[in-house]
Amino acid sequence: MALTGDLRSFNFVDIFQIIGRDRKSGILFVEWKDLTCAYYVKDGEIIFARPIDKVYRVYTDKDFDLLLSKLRMNAESLPKTIERFLISRLNMKEGIFSFMPGFIKYGREYPVVYPIEQLIVLASRNLTPEEVERKISDEMLLFERVPGKEEVLQKAKLNQIEEHILSLIDGERTVLQIRQMVNQDSLLVDRALYAFLALGLIRRKKKEVKQKQVPITLELLAKIIERIRSL
Amino acid sequence: MKQIKKIKVIIAGPFAAGKTQFINTVSEIKTIKTERKIWQSSERSVKDYTTVAMDFGKIRIDDEHELYLFGTPGQFRFDFMWEILGEGALGVIVLVDSTDPTTFHEARKIINFFQSRFPVPIVVGANKQDLPNAWSLEDIRIALDIDEEESIPVIPVSAIDKESVKNALLTLFEIIRANLTG
Repeated sequence: MALTGDLRSFNFVDIFQIIGRDRKSGILFVEWKDLTCAYYVKDGEIIFARPIDKVYRVYTDKDFDLLLSKLRMNAESLPKTIERFLISRLNMKEGIFSFMPGFIKYGREYPVVYPIEQLIVLASRNLTPEEVERKISDEMLLFERVPGKEEVLQKAKLNQIEEHILSLIDGERTVLQIRQMVNQDSLLVDRALYAFLALGLIRRKKKEVKQKQVPITLELLAKIIERIRSL
Repeated sequence: MKQIKKIKVIIAGPFAAGKTQFINTVSEIKTIKTERKIWQSSERSVKDYTTVAMDFGKIRIDDEHELYLFGTPGQFRFDFMWEILGEGALGVIVLVDSTDPTTFHEARKIINFFQSRFPVPIVVGANKQDLPNAWSLEDIRIALDIDEEESIPVIPVSAIDKESVKNALLTLFEIIRANLTG
């Protein structure tokens, strides 16, 4: 299925979240104003980036190893391309992206110097107030830590402030309280929370569903279900 | 004359997600709409009219009960209506346009809104799944940050197809039933 959109409404954190969570493989294309880039994704990791003149030309190189030899590149030089054509562009907000799953054949393992978890954190540091507001929309939101995420945390390479913010999330403190305790620009806190959500390190604390407040009987429910079926 | 008891379900979702059509497809009465012409150019490029207060459709259950389907306006500038319409609702169906990722974040904000004020069962209906540029259900679930703990199913919906709309309503009512018995 397609995975296309506009960076203004679906930023790099969001894109990396989807690629990483599902451990996708394929090619991510981003059409910037000045450049079109192809990002090669293997099992949820971006392993290579290169500028391209025409998208369709990428489809002629289906074998990744052959492509590397054609470009006279070795596996060790791949991380440099990520720095040059991806990390340096994480602050750019105008572009159209599309992800083409599958398609490319990867023959072996390639070095991953910038794990997707780290890219999520790096991208989050460029989010604007408007972007963070999409997920951190309410200062009364409550988040809790997701257990068993040590590996993700290790790969994410949080800085000291981000680690501190993470340590304050306990399922009891609201976003507002965390912002007050950190005592820094609230955008820093919101960016970190946005990244933690994308990394799956935290989740919204579930409120108890209060179905019983609404008077409805099982008998009536059965009737409703039957009625809908018969429509 | 017996007084008819009302059972309320909310059909929410971002602008142009298909809420009015959803209600239209299954309502036994002609949907009551409160649409106004759109003047904002960004929205007008999508459609000419938008719901400003609510859409209303209903399904007769028996002599004493009617199921009311309330469609909320999609834009956040009308969120005061969500508060009014959400009161007493049994559950919420949040529609998203599967082909338009700009609506996913808005959908999450709508889910947050209802979760914090009216913690009732929620189902996400991924509309327009039949279109070639539709995002997969799993990608939509991840984009919406729906954690398994939240128990919010993401199901395919075609708002123009009666069976599909019925299926969304049935999914919601089965969750309500499970909550009552659980």
